[in-house]
Amino acid sequence: MRRVSVDIGGTFTDCFLVFDQRRAEGKALTTHHNLASGFMAALEDSCRQLDVGIEEVLSSVDAVRYATTLGTNALIERKGPKVGLITTSGFEFSVLLMRARGYGDGLSDAEQQDLPAATRPLPIVPRSMIEGVDERIDYKGEVVFDVDEDNVRDVVRRLVDRGAQAFVVSTVNSVVNPVNEKKIERIVLEEYPSHLLGAIPIVLSHRVAGRKGEYARTMSSILDAYLHDQMYHGLASLESVLRKNQYKKPMLVVHNSCGMAQMSSTHALQTIHSGPVAGLEATQSLSTQFAEPNMIATDMGGTSFDIGLVTSDGVKFYDFNPVIDRWLISTPMTYLHTLGAGGGSIARFDRLWGAVEVGPESAGSDPGPACYGRGGTLPTTTDANLVLGYLDEKNYAGGSIKLSKRRAERAIREHICEHTGLSVEEAALAIRRKVDANMADAIFKEVAIKGYDPRRFTLLSYGGGGPLHACGYAGKIGISRILIPPFSAVFSALGAASMNQLHIHERSLYLMLYDSLKRQVLQDFEQFNATVDQLEQLGREDLLRQGVHPDDIRFRVELDMRYGNQLAQTAVVSPVEHIESDQDVMTLLDLFSSNYEQRFGEGSAAPEAGIRVNVIRVVSFVEHEAVTLERSSASDDAVVAPVSSRDCWFDGTDGALPTQVYNIADIPEGASIPGPALVETLHTTYLVYPGWSLTMGKQGSAWLAQGDVNAGGNSHG
Amino acid sequence: MVKATPPSERSLIEQFLDDNVLFLGPDPDIMADHSVSIPNEREVAAVEAWKDRSDEIHLIRNRLQTACNESFDMVEQMGAAPGAKWGDLIAGIFSCQGDLALSSAGGVLIFSVLAQHPQKFILKYWKDDPTVGIRDGDIFMHNDARYGNIHNTDQSLSIPVFHDGEIVCFVGAIVHEGENGACEPGGMPGGAESPYDEGLKISPLKVGENFEFRKDLLTFLQNSVREPKLQMEGMKSKLYASLRIKKRVEEVIKDYGIDAFLATLRGTLSDTEAEVRRRLKTWPDGKVLSNVFADSTLRENVLIKIRCEVSKQGDEMVIDLRGSSPEFLNRANNTVLASMKGMLAQLFLMFVWPDLPRNQAVFAPITVMTDKGSTLNCSPEAPNAQSMMTFFPAFTAVQSAVPKLLFSAGYRSTDIIACWYNMITTFVYGGLSQHQEFVGNVCADLNGMGGAARATRDGEHSIAPIFASMADIGEQELIEEEVPMMKLVPHKVMVDNCGFGKQRGGHGYQQIATHKDTQAWGYMVNTIGAKFPSTYGIFGGYAPGCYPLCKVKGVNVFEVMKDKRELMRFTIAEIMNEQPFPGATYSAHHAGLQFELGEPGELYMITQGGGGGYGDVLERDPAAIARDWADGIVSRRTIETIYHVVMNYDTGAIDQDGTDKARAAERKARLARGRPFREFAAAWTRQKPPEGLPYYGSWDDPKVLYLGTPDKSCPADAIEPVMMPDPKDVEIAALKAQLLALKQGG
Repeated sequence: MRRVSVDIGGTFTDCFLVFDQRRAEGKALTTHHNLASGFMAALEDSCRQLDVGIEEVLSSVDAVRYATTLGTNALIERKGPKVGLITTSGFEFSVLLMRARGYGDGLSDAEQQDLPAATRPLPIVPRSMIEGVDERIDYKGEVVFDVDEDNVRDVVRRLVDRGAQAFVVSTVNSVVNPVNEKKIERIVLEEYPSHLLGAIPIVLSHRVAGRKGEYARTMSSILDAYLHDQMYHGLASLESVLRKNQYKKPMLVVHNSCGMAQMSSTHALQTIHSGPVAGLEATQSLSTQFAEPNMIATDMGGTSFDIGLVTSDGVKFYDFNPVIDRWLISTPMTYLHTLGAGGGSIARFDRLWGAVEVGPESAGSDPGPACYGRGGTLPTTTDANLVLGYLDEKNYAGGSIKLSKRRAERAIREHICEHTGLSVEEAALAIRRKVDANMADAIFKEVAIKGYDPRRFTLLSYGGGGPLHACGYAGKIGISRILIPPFSAVFSALGAASMNQLHIHERSLYLMLYDSLKRQVLQDFEQFNATVDQLEQLGREDLLRQGVHPDDIRFRVELDMRYGNQLAQTAVVSPVEHIESDQDVMTLLDLFSSNYEQRFGEGSAAPEAGIRVNVIRVVSFVEHEAVTLERSSASDDAVVAPVSSRDCWFDGTDGALPTQVYNIADIPEGASIPGPALVETLHTTYLVYPGWSLTMGKQGSAWLAQGDVNAGGNSHG
Repeated sequence: MVKATPPSERSLIEQFLDDNVLFLGPDPDIMADHSVSIPNEREVAAVEAWKDRSDEIHLIRNRLQTACNESFDMVEQMGAAPGAKWGDLIAGIFSCQGDLALSSAGGVLIFSVLAQHPQKFILKYWKDDPTVGIRDGDIFMHNDARYGNIHNTDQSLSIPVFHDGEIVCFVGAIVHEGENGACEPGGMPGGAESPYDEGLKISPLKVGENFEFRKDLLTFLQNSVREPKLQMEGMKSKLYASLRIKKRVEEVIKDYGIDAFLATLRGTLSDTEAEVRRRLKTWPDGKVLSNVFADSTLRENVLIKIRCEVSKQGDEMVIDLRGSSPEFLNRANNTVLASMKGMLAQLFLMFVWPDLPRNQAVFAPITVMTDKGSTLNCSPEAPNAQSMMTFFPAFTAVQSAVPKLLFSAGYRSTDIIACWYNMITTFVYGGLSQHQEFVGNVCADLNGMGGAARATRDGEHSIAPIFASMADIGEQELIEEEVPMMKLVPHKVMVDNCGFGKQRGGHGYQQIATHKDTQAWGYMVNTIGAKFPSTYGIFGGYAPGCYPLCKVKGVNVFEVMKDKRELMRFTIAEIMNEQPFPGATYSAHHAGLQFELGEPGELYMITQGGGGGYGDVLERDPAAIARDWADGIVSRRTIETIYHVVMNYDTGAIDQDGTDKARAAERKARLARGRPFREFAAAWTRQKPPEGLPYYGSWDDPKVLYLGTPDKSCPADAIEPVMMPDPKDVEIAALKAQLLALKQGG
């Protein structure tokens, strides 16, 4: 296997290079002005490690896979064309009002609750660029008010006069019957033919999202239209750089649905948050290869803490209405929960409770923690870690950032100690306890609300801050085994390397599997099967367009089901692609009830309220060979020599404990290190609490286990 | 001279009275008290044991808070009521004495103070009753607002949590379920003339044992409402969400011990109250008067006075609402005192200190005074299904008063604002759905109330109700899938629909609804403020407008769309002013519409209100007016006659010199119109309400309440309830009089 996978993050661009049997983890600073520069620098770093030339690599790899933040950047910087929105008359304010609650989308709980200060973000499409067209389709797709050509032409011309550079057409109930959207498209194309210079791109909402909900679908379409140019030019310019370096195949763009596709088959929206989602794909691959069926993925960075879930029962967790920046959209994104907790989280004394509170406010990287010496004066999690001895003043982030313990102590003294009477170290411990508890509570809720007991999961910890805090938050949940995964420094890039080419198509429908009023179970299977066929055909076309062999295409049918008129939409993976018999219906009913009861408790199922399918989703994919991850079963009694020792403070111990510091390169596979200990790597630090141990695995992986040194590690599983 | 009863005889009499109670109605002592219970010995000991461990208590509190949030998410996901889907619910943990100590971060805040009463009733009356009792596995339910909560459409469910045989807390959830079998569908009957028209009246009731509902009681409840499916789903969602919190509570007790748990609940309440007192102390001492008026009972136009005097002294506040209107014994707009207190508490939790935890201690330092038997403290015989029609104005009265104290406060945790729009402007519907189900509920559009103007910013258009943050107005496509109602205009911001000011209030949207594909469909609207604004501006800012209900009958717009598309209009103003559909009847009404069946294609039109303005209109930045003009939300007339701005309407360019001159001229005109206060007062003041004005409440002296005419009054401490005639009888009488006059004339 020869493969290049790149993940662009806020600070670093990570590259995972597979070159036959060899692997390399490359890193470079993200170059926000031109992401291609950082991309190539990270690739160069990887190539250097394997002593191969970039051109040799690019000319021979099976694919370059890319998780990009181009879309996110364009959104934050508000770089995009002037979009004109054509919608159903009467609905002109729907996107501007954001379902009322939209003022708080993308904000912290505290900001959401502060109604007097609530302010909506500046709209991407202002009121003056929104026009209504006299038309209407009802809930079942019947045209009750047809489109009038003259009316549409007037509307289009008005928007063009006001400077529209792209059109979004989003009419009510178009996912049930797109005829009016298509008519409007035809009229626009007649006015501005695609072969002429004045052509204006058009996005039809039913092609962007197949789910009912006019606000979220329209918003998705607006973002798609808004980001399209930036994404296209960014990706095309990168592809051009790759081609100059002898890459001849189409680049594969990572999607936020745990799949990927060629640029020509990618919507701009599908790329948002694709990096963190790729980390979850790596977790899925690891789960399979390590035979660890239930895993919680945790990724702690400077400002945020991502939580994802992989389970043995195959249940897929989606966020059907994710929030991108401040916008609620409609797209089936793999579910990740993000908490405002990281190294930059600010600590303060909370007068109300007489206790230390941490976050969600963050000092970020600019000014950053007080110890960075960049103007930050407020104490942060990183400052606490430094005061407690967990971080090396001179060797933080590979020596790229010099830390000042004095500044950290001063910030904690002024903002915490003066209110609490605690010593600086006690205050730092209180900060650690709180931030770890915040993360633990968030993990617990995320797992428990889905019906699982987190204590039965293996915790996966990666990202710059994860291994430094993992013992803390795992311990608070009652999880005693933590896996720091192979290639953890570039884990999301690794996920990209193991991804399948995949497309999701879904459609809203009103399908009663069990009508409790009529006491009837579904008898007419036509609507179900026809919808599946149509969605499969869309997925098939997507993949065939990318040159995939028809025999390689696989499908997975998923159903969003609910009892009665509930909001709950439990995603069920259907064991059958088509319903052929009563038995198939009963199987689906049973499967839904069992998933539901797992989630909400035994006895909570309410089939007597009727059972409906709201959405049919077809996942069309082609399996690609995954990167092999090796689980170690070795045991090595070697005594590893520490590189140094320093005093560290821990909860529950009297004063500081002398703590050995190890270099990860010195620890052989199978060797164990008892806590307290610090293991330093190029990109992060592993903190082993007293009572815990670390056992080294293969490919840079390590197990942290509570209890006996020999109890947790490689021999398990 | 009255002879004292000897103590031994008194106890015998008391015993007799206790043994021979007709039935256990709402307990006045429980219902009148909103303070936090005095800690019992067990709680005192627990707090003492953990007194220097606030950091650890904080970690436990966060864990329990997470459990409440988890439970909230469950109810929202599992519930079927529209209310559950838009967050009109709460989940929480009550102390062993029934005080709500912790509640979910999301949801309707009013419950924070109201949830306690049924718990306290259960503890007081059922705990030691041999026929009821409280045992592990018991499930209690309640919905009668006279025993707590807001109105009968809200259903609460709670379960006790035991440790070593003792009740250590209750956990539970409350949801606005909607349909409850009342005289009108949807659960909030504006047409109720007695409590017995208001549907289900569940006093605190044990509905299950061993964590299971009793099938006979569940059947009874389902049989009593129009949506048996909804009733069952609602009960199940609350039960399983409560069981989840119970499990989390037990885990906390296992990890930290019972003392830590009890100390956390109690500490949460006492720390909150202490913080509120600290904050109040930074406000200047003083007194602010604020009178507001409700203009309808939902059945007829009347003027209902809400008299409000807010006094702040030290770390306490008194809200004196005495002198407000007497209760209406056959109208649904009366308020149970506890419900109103919940609403007032919400003002502080949401609009003054949104950073405070959600528990009942927030309101503990505040005293509320009312006249017993007034519309703000009604008797058990008065219906209260639409209590919002008086407690929302009471909320606005206090919201109008508070900024005057808060402006100079030493501590503020958010912006100072004018008054939020305060009415639940939406359609309540009922009938047969296109799926042949009988449904009755309320549309989520009530959540789009216009935001108030802020000291330094305009208000936001249709952003949130006064009772919840992050509330959703939903997606029309999803609503249409469930019910046959079609909003031709779901949310279209209306021109000039806000309180003007230096900072203007947020606008409200107009809605035009119709229906199809059903054999029977009807509408209700429960809103006041069609003739007299229901909310106000501040510091010179204007109140928003008045909002009538408009109807177009005798038309089928679906036929118009098909055959005469050029006649279609998409604003209320165009439809009502141009009357484009030949042969149709156009009418405007006050916005208290009792359930009315409509024909397919007929139009019902309402307007969500705007927020109050802040400051003088002549100080509004002309550039902001140009922005509003570009957005199409301010009229030329308003620009010229209210804001006195001169601009080019084609380009949006402001003529600064012209504006300066126009504003200077208006300031001069203001001075010319002005009168010395004494002169004004002498000309303006009347001794009694004017003839012909149906006025209810005090005029000048708060101890005397008027009862609809200047000749009829009662003392405030001996209120005579008001009985209103049936509006249809009034109409018939008027028609008969007209007939008689015609006959006599002829």
